[in-house]
Parts: sequence; structure tokens; C-alpha cells
Amino acid sequence: MGNEDLTRRSFLAGLGAVGAAAALGGCATSATPKSADQKSGAVTIQSNLSSPQAKTAMEALTAAFNKRGGAQSSLNTVAAETFRTQLPTYLTSATPPDIYTWYAGSVALTYADKGLLLDVSDVWQGMGGYSDALRKLSGDGKGKQIFLPTNYYWWGVFYRKSNFAKWGVRPPTSWAEFVTLAQTLKGKGVAPIGLGAGGNTPWVASAWFDYLNIRINGAQYHRDLLAGHKRFDDPQVHKVFEQWKTVLPYFDPQGTAIPFQDATTSLLQGRTGMMLIGTFFADAAPKDVLDDIDFFQFPVIDPAVPVAEEAPTDGFFASARSSHVAGAKEFLTYMATPEAQEIYIKSSSGTVLPANPAAKDAGTPLVAKGKEMLSKAADLTQFFNRDSSDALQPTADTALIKFLQQPNQVDSILTDWQKAAEKVWSA
Amino acid sequence: MTTLTAARRRPRRSAEHRVSPLLLALVLVPLAVEAFWVFWPALQGFYLSLTKWDGISPPEQIGLGNYREMLGDGTFHLALRNTAIWLVLFGGLSAVGGLGAALLLQRERRGVGFYRAALFLPVVFSLVATSLIWQGMYQPSGMINKFLGAVGLAGWQHAWLADPSTALYAVIVPALWRQIGYVMVLYLAGLKGIDPALYEAARVDGASWWQQFTRITLPQLKSVNSVVLSVIVIDSLRSFDVAWALTRGGPYHSSELLSTYMYSTAFQSLRLGYGAALAVAIFVLAFGVIVTYLVRAFRESDA
Repeated sequence: MGNEDLTRRSFLAGLGAVGAAAALGGCATSATPKSADQKSGAVTIQSNLSSPQAKTAMEALTAAFNKRGGAQSSLNTVAAETFRTQLPTYLTSATPPDIYTWYAGSVALTYADKGLLLDVSDVWQGMGGYSDALRKLSGDGKGKQIFLPTNYYWWGVFYRKSNFAKWGVRPPTSWAEFVTLAQTLKGKGVAPIGLGAGGNTPWVASAWFDYLNIRINGAQYHRDLLAGHKRFDDPQVHKVFEQWKTVLPYFDPQGTAIPFQDATTSLLQGRTGMMLIGTFFADAAPKDVLDDIDFFQFPVIDPAVPVAEEAPTDGFFASARSSHVAGAKEFLTYMATPEAQEIYIKSSSGTVLPANPAAKDAGTPLVAKGKEMLSKAADLTQFFNRDSSDALQPTADTALIKFLQQPNQVDSILTDWQKAAEKVWSA
Repeated sequence: MTTLTAARRRPRRSAEHRVSPLLLALVLVPLAVEAFWVFWPALQGFYLSLTKWDGISPPEQIGLGNYREMLGDGTFHLALRNTAIWLVLFGGLSAVGGLGAALLLQRERRGVGFYRAALFLPVVFSLVATSLIWQGMYQPSGMINKFLGAVGLAGWQHAWLADPSTALYAVIVPALWRQIGYVMVLYLAGLKGIDPALYEAARVDGASWWQQFTRITLPQLKSVNSVVLSVIVIDSLRSFDVAWALTRGGPYHSSELLSTYMYSTAFQSLRLGYGAALAVAIFVLAFGVIVTYLVRAFRESDA
């Protein structure tokens, strides 16, 4: 009861604060002429970037936007899990927040298909420098732009240069070399491949599935599979797991017991040799080892399959029911500028790439290498949940963790996966 | 004269029968609040369980389709079995442990306050914090495995939460750790209410400790037992935070409880209709167990 009182009180306090912010916003912008259709009050930005670094970066961004003297914005940071479960509620409410941090791809299209997202095609008119790939990724497939990408990152097999030198090994350039490398490392008493699919990060295992699938069956097959046009018990999916089985003995036995944060610690301490992971892991890495970190591209398995890479793209979308359409678009236009994207990169760990080609990235050799790998890719995928939906992700977690622990049951695992996925697709 | 007194008396009497507006308000306002915040959402839950709903589009009526799906849903059966295991182990052990601790700590001895406080302390911690502590202890390189290694039981070392054969039990332990303290306090209060004269009389008659326990303590604790049982059943069926924080029902559903399955169905798979049906199943189970017990208890006390 006391708790409810507290929340009710803080809710009222929040209302008061919003009111005050609206009043202040009115004062601040009273000097500049405003279009008549725009409602007063700040553009609300609902952010799921709750890690300390990313949160600071978002605060710096909104402050920079507010300082310009146009529309005002107010940032509301929510824990990622809460944000994810509440997003449908936010978007369908009568007075929704205006702007949301989110991911490009199918995971945003679900909401666009229900007509919940603001058409931001006119914001895109001023974004001529953006690549066609990003433009296509941000469209709803029916000619409207519904997403505004601000940055993206890459996945690779990361390792420590000093450790590879100590063990006398080199990054592989083919699948065969990759297997040999794993054998060599195992011979030296190192767990060759770290994973980190335990604890609350079972989704990390999906990176292996994604990459094996796009290397063996190609990116288009992968997307069709995730959209429900193909089946998880398809013989082609079986091929993915047969390939995976050949390297399973080299996986860290603790792979399904520890979360990816601990797995990266193991990697940096040299207990494991290498690890397929996204650049976000660097956020938590000590600054002094950042220069020692390098990666190689996930090895090519079938040279006939065009090489695709995972390049998850982050950005914003706006609610179709926003009462500050002009302000929201002004905010999105600002977010697309090199200035805004550079502010974000400088305030964060700096391992992401700006979506605007005119914006400067962090400029380290690691970032340059990642950028080059993505620019050479024939196709880009996002990630399992982004190319399908957050609802499909748990079905993958169940199937993949079971496969990692009981690889001989792959037939029943894939049948169960298909059944679970069908329930999600028909929901 | 008589008519006068009668006339004078009548309004006073009717005033006694008329319910005062303050009393009415004290009853009706909480009822309205309860109806709005509890009954109405509960009814909506029942309604949702008859629909297919993704949280965005309007709900679609499908009758008893969700309940029919439940009958053939392997994961639901697994979650039901795990919840039954949970109810028996968590409920049984916390009742026995709580009663044992209460019996040990009921007599006023030096330092007994410290032990009572120590056992009650886990109740004060938030369950999520408790889970974080235990998560650290269960890690492959955590305290439990280090301890096993140190005492020469390295063969028993285990990825407790990642192994499907141990995950469920590894989740029950922290929940028990907390519940025993809570049940202990309930029983301590119950034991304090027993008339010491009963024990004195028993001792004079030469009753053994065991006879005193079975003939005096247990029957006298009957009313506390029904409270403890209700608390245990409700807590078992709604146990969610520990399981979710430690394993999220994984690995591959091996520690799935009805509550975690309900949450992941509703809020991860966004199948809110089926999730609501699962919630109704949980409600029926909890309500059923408690009502059966209470009816029996009342019948016994009437007889």
C-alpha cells in the first residue's frame, strides 16, 4: 500500500514536472515564432538506452537539441526489458510519447503494419547522403519511410592480439583454417570458442545460427525462414546444425552457463581464445585492453553464397498519434545530422558506426576494419530478433541452448522449434 | 405520558438501525476502489482468456480455443508438473522448516533474538536482490562450486542453473531460504498464543515431549496452519521473481513454472489471450486448493 502511495505520489509529481516543463518550454520558445499547428510542450523521447554510457550520450544529445532554440525535447529513459514489454501499450495509448529508440528491420515493421508509426518520408527528403541499403531498411515496403537510423555496428569473431601472438596463431581466412585454429588452441589448454549464452543472455547463441545460416543458405533464405516462409525442420536448416556440430567440441563448456559479460571477461583474460560477439561488448571492456582487441570476419563456408554480414541498425521512430508532429520531425531531422551522430559516438564507447556517411566515426583501426567489412558485404542482416520479432527470439533461445547441450537431439529440437514458431507467427 | 415516551423512543431506535453515512462511505469507497483496481481487471482477464490478442490489434473471440490448446501444450504440462514439484518441495519444506525453527527459537534464551532476526532477514530483502546473490553463488566459478572443490567434492561441481536436471531445484533453494523465515514468524506468533497451563498439566501427567507436541502444540496451531497453508499455496503459485531472475524458466523450459510461462507467453511471445488463459488456470488452482482446505477446516471445527 505504501508502495502504491509512493507511485501515485511520484506520478502526480511527474505530472507536475511535465506541466512545469511544458510551461518552461513555452517560456523558452516564446521568443521564436512557432507554427500554429504545433501544440505547446516538449517532444517526449522514450529511450531504452539505460546503460550508463548510452544514457549519458542520449542526455548529451537532447541537451544539444534543446540548445538550438527550436522545439524542446524531454528524455525519458526506461529499462530495456520494461521498454520492450510496454512498447505496444505506449504506441496504442491516446497520448503516447512522441519518439522512441528502436531497431531497424522487421521488428519495427510489425508496428508500421498496424499503422502505429509516423510517416517520416519528408524527413528523409533531406537525407540524400544516406545509403540506399539504409533507405530501404527504413521503409515500410509500401513507399513510406517509418524509421530513422542513427548508427549501426557489426559482429565478428573477436580475440586479443597479444594472446594470439603468445599462442603463435593467426586469424583464419577460411572455415578449414578456423577449425585448425580451434584444434591448435584446444591443444594448448585454452577453451577455443567462448559463447556467453547463459544467465539472461541466451540470445547470444542466435549469432551462431544467423551466421551459419547466411553462410550456408544465404541472407535471403535466412530472412524467408524468419518470416515463416520456410520451415525450421527444413533439410537446409539441418545442414546448418550439421556444420555447427563439427565445431561444437571446441566451444567453452561453460558457454551456456555464463552470460556474455562474463564470457567476454574470460576472453580478455585468455581463458577462451575467441568469441563471436557484437561490438557492444567493448562498452564494458577496460579502456587499456581496447587497443589489444581485434576481430576476424566469420569464415566463409560456401564460396558460392554471396557474403552477408550482420549489421544491426539502431535509431528512432515516432508515434502516428504524436501530438507534436512538427517537433518530432524536427528532432528526427536533427538526429540525422552528422553533428548529432558525432555527439552520440563521442559520448558512448565509440564502437558504433554513424548512419550518416558524412559523420565521422571514432577513427580507430578496429572501427575502420569493421566499416570496411560491412561496406564489402553483398547483403546485410540485422540479427535474429530484429529480422523476425522479439516474440520469435525465445523460441530460438530454447532450441539453440538445447542443441548446444544435447546436439544429438537435433531432429526433435527442430520439430519443436517449428511448432513453437508457428504459434508466434499465427499470434 | 406513555405515548410521549414511545414517541421519544422511536426515533432513537430507528437512528440505531440507520447506517451512518460515514460507515457507508468506509465500506463503499474501498469496495469501489477494489472493484475498479482488482475485480474489473480480473474480469477482463477472464474475458481476454477467451480471445486471441497481440496487444495491438483488437482482440479476436475464439471461445475456449486457448483452453483447448492448453490440453495439448507440452510446455504447459511441464510447467504444471514443475509447479506441483515446487508446491510440494517449497511448501512442504518451508512449513516443516518454519515450524522447526519456531519451536527451536520460541523459548526466551540469551541471543535468541539474534537467531530470529537472522532467519527473518531474507524476508526483508527484495527477491530480485536475493536472486542476484544466489546467481553469483551458483556461477560455474561461484562460491558453491569453490566450496565443493575445497572440501574435495570437485566431482559434484556443476553449472547449477544451466543444467536442466538441477535448474528447478537450484531455483527452489533461494525461495525456501526466504520463505522459512516468514513461516517461522507466523508459527512463533501461534506458539505464543498457546496457554502454558496446558503444557504444565501435561507434564504433571507425565507426557513426553513428543506427546506434548502432537497432542497440544499441533492441535492448538490449527488456526495458524490454515493461514500458513494459504500463504504457501498462494506464494508457490505466484512465485515468479526468483525463477525469472535466475533462469527465466530455462534452460529450454526445464525450470518453467506456470507463472514464468504465463509471463513469457503474454509479454515475450505477445500471445496475451493464451497468457490470460494461463493466468486463469493459476487462479483456479490456487483458489481450488485453498477453498477445499478451508471448507474441510470449517467442517471439522463445526463438528
